[in-house]
Amino acid sequence: MNGGPALVSIMRQGSTLIASVHTALDDSELVRFEHDLIHQIGEHRSRGVIIDVAALDVIDSFAALTLRRIAEMARLRGALTVLVGIQPEVAFTMVRLGMGTGQVPTALDLEEGLALLAAHPGAGTDSTERDARPGSTP
Amino acid sequence: MVRRIVHARVGSHPSAEDLVQETLTRVLAASATIEPGMLEPYAIVTARNVVASMWRDADRRRRNQHRVVDLSTPDLPDSQVVLDEEQSAMATALARLGERERRTLLEHEVSGTDTHTLAARAGSTAGAVAAQLNRTRARLRVEYVLAAEQAELPTDQCRAVLIALSGGDQRRQREVRAAQHLLECELCARLSEPLLERGQQRDDRLRIPVTADPDIVSARRAARELASRLDFAATDLTVIATAVSEVCRNIVRFAGTGEVVVELLEVPRRGIQVVARDGGPGIPDIDRALDDGFSTYGGLGLGLPGVRRLMDEFAIASEPGHGTTVTMTKWERTHDG
Amino acid sequence: MDERPEEHPQTRALHESHWADHGGGEHLLSQLVAHLREHRTRLQEEWSQRIQQAHLLTAMTPQEMAAETTSVYDNYVEVLETGNVEALQHYARDLSERIIPRGVETHEVVGIVLLLRDVLARSLFEKYQRDFSRLNEVLDAYEPAANRIANTVAVSFVDERERIIRQQQDAIRELSTPVLPVRERLLILPIIGVLDSERARQLTEQLLSGIRKHRAKVVVIDITGSPDVDEAVANHLVQTVDASRLMGASVIITGLSPKIAQTLVTIGVDLSKMNTIGDLQGGLEEAERLLGYTVTRKEGSTSS
Ligand SMILES: [Zn+2]
Repeated sequence: MNGGPALVSIMRQGSTLIASVHTALDDSELVRFEHDLIHQIGEHRSRGVIIDVAALDVIDSFAALTLRRIAEMARLRGALTVLVGIQPEVAFTMVRLGMGTGQVPTALDLEEGLALLAAHPGAGTDSTERDARPGSTP
Repeated sequence: MVRRIVHARVGSHPSAEDLVQETLTRVLAASATIEPGMLEPYAIVTARNVVASMWRDADRRRRNQHRVVDLSTPDLPDSQVVLDEEQSAMATALARLGERERRTLLEHEVSGTDTHTLAARAGSTAGAVAAQLNRTRARLRVEYVLAAEQAELPTDQCRAVLIALSGGDQRRQREVRAAQHLLECELCARLSEPLLERGQQRDDRLRIPVTADPDIVSARRAARELASRLDFAATDLTVIATAVSEVCRNIVRFAGTGEVVVELLEVPRRGIQVVARDGGPGIPDIDRALDDGFSTYGGLGLGLPGVRRLMDEFAIASEPGHGTTVTMTKWERTHDG
Repeated sequence: MDERPEEHPQTRALHESHWADHGGGEHLLSQLVAHLREHRTRLQEEWSQRIQQAHLLTAMTPQEMAAETTSVYDNYVEVLETGNVEALQHYARDLSERIIPRGVETHEVVGIVLLLRDVLARSLFEKYQRDFSRLNEVLDAYEPAANRIANTVAVSFVDERERIIRQQQDAIRELSTPVLPVRERLLILPIIGVLDSERARQLTEQLLSGIRKHRAKVVVIDITGSPDVDEAVANHLVQTVDASRLMGASVIITGLSPKIAQTLVTIGVDLSKMNTIGDLQGGLEEAERLLGYTVTRKEGSTSS
């Protein structure tokens, strides 16, 4: 995101990228975020990606789809994406709306997300074992 | 030059309503000294004077500063032309009222004849006379704006729509499909602005134009803020914001332009109502659009069916070629479940 | 009549019903009010005795009762005089708010107002008994107004009572936090009794905020205590499971009765995708396993 106050920050920690969304994003900003993040995943050959959405007070269908798409593109580039920080009200509303996160694993917060990635040394391989992935939505 | 200034002036009135009111007040103040037959001509002259004095008014610059930049340093000849046009606009407006309408309005406002007396004379009821007076005032505001703008109305429907908007009569607005018309008729959309100024001051109702991505975020924010004045649970606020987000996106994606009106309700219960309308292509098959397995974008069966699940009431009306209106409501929770 | 200013509709009704058709009504009214004021001490005393004889307001102390009867009496006369029912309504609400928590019942409040009506009627009877037509006039005027006052008090009392009961129910709901943190990262949500949509919603909200508050990784929802749910609530249950997962918590459902399981299948839930375990004990063992604790008990939980 170039220019203006950062809407999203993307940090690198080892082979993991941590993307924190700081404020509500409109659709075009979400798409820009998607491109930036995918670009960086490829550039850094990241194995894990954490997207922190704690600051989002609304995750509507477009936002949910975009997050899913990011995770899918990341997977194709060999990185496992974990969504962290979905707020209680947002979680319930997403479900009512009919939006899950698909196969994208979720964790309570950044710390949990990092722990989840750490438990997956092969993060990015197509792991579908459910019990070892708390929070994944079948 | 004159056209440009006149154009600016219509939007720059404190409101057309104020002007009409001020005119009548002055006429009323002088009525004791006026001979009966002179009342109407006097009203017209007064109207002109009111407009003129508005321009001489020491505080007019302060009042209009934020709107008419090009008049803040008036060059006199042009101002004088504007002045004349203003005066004749009010005179024209009064003249365009029906003979009986005008007489009743002036008798009520100027002579102070009460509605009971007027009703008795006309063989009507006081309520009916009061309603008629409101319609006349609404009409006068419209005629004033039209005359000031020297506008040619493009369709037969325009005048009825403007009068319904001016009177704030919501039932009539629905009858003449006013909201729809404003999306289709550029002239009425512009003319209705000074007429709607009163309506816009209501603080339990918000109208948000929706044309681009950022509007989706502002609309849902505004809706959440308005809803938070009621006793909604945190989850419900998120639900409302999310539903607004979805319907706004449909406007931006499929219609390009439209609006969202968010309103707090008191009856039959406390709640919040969201009306999203556009003048877009419409939805040919609504049943299919509400089917969970169908969506025109993304192909994942989202959007409208999900919104319907989020809200307590949900209705959609769509006419191919004329746009779509979604009306949805969330009620404040009752305590006994 | 014609020059009567516009008033509150209820006020007007009060006047119309008793003064309207009697010439000199205003005069009659002020006479009546003067009489009731003049004999205030005696009439109020008589009224209090009648209340005691009828065993009303037994929950109040004599001092409280003296204070309340004085206020009610004065308000009553004031309403008769001014026709302002709003003031009485206001007073009745205020009174209700104070006496409802002490267990005063609706019939008691209605009862004391009716007693007051009768005590005052009797005194009017005594005063005018020698002038029969005058008496009729006075009673014709007094009774409809008095009945309306009784009605007003009763209605606002009932309203207030309902409001207070609702408040108490809300408070009880808030107090009973159903989400139990059993150990670090583990929550149990026992569902007991019949679930309606409203209660289901509250449980969900409490569970989801509980997950964040206790940083829970596993939630056991035990529905042993709930024999049956309707489809709406079953749907809600599934949504709660999904929402918990979005927050990063795994959900185990225990105590699923065959009936509820059937309902879930009916609404299209794939039970094989839900982590359901027979009983709470088994559920807790599964939870500990998910959390990475060593299960020291014998292996034997039946994971479905
Ligand atoms: Zn038009």
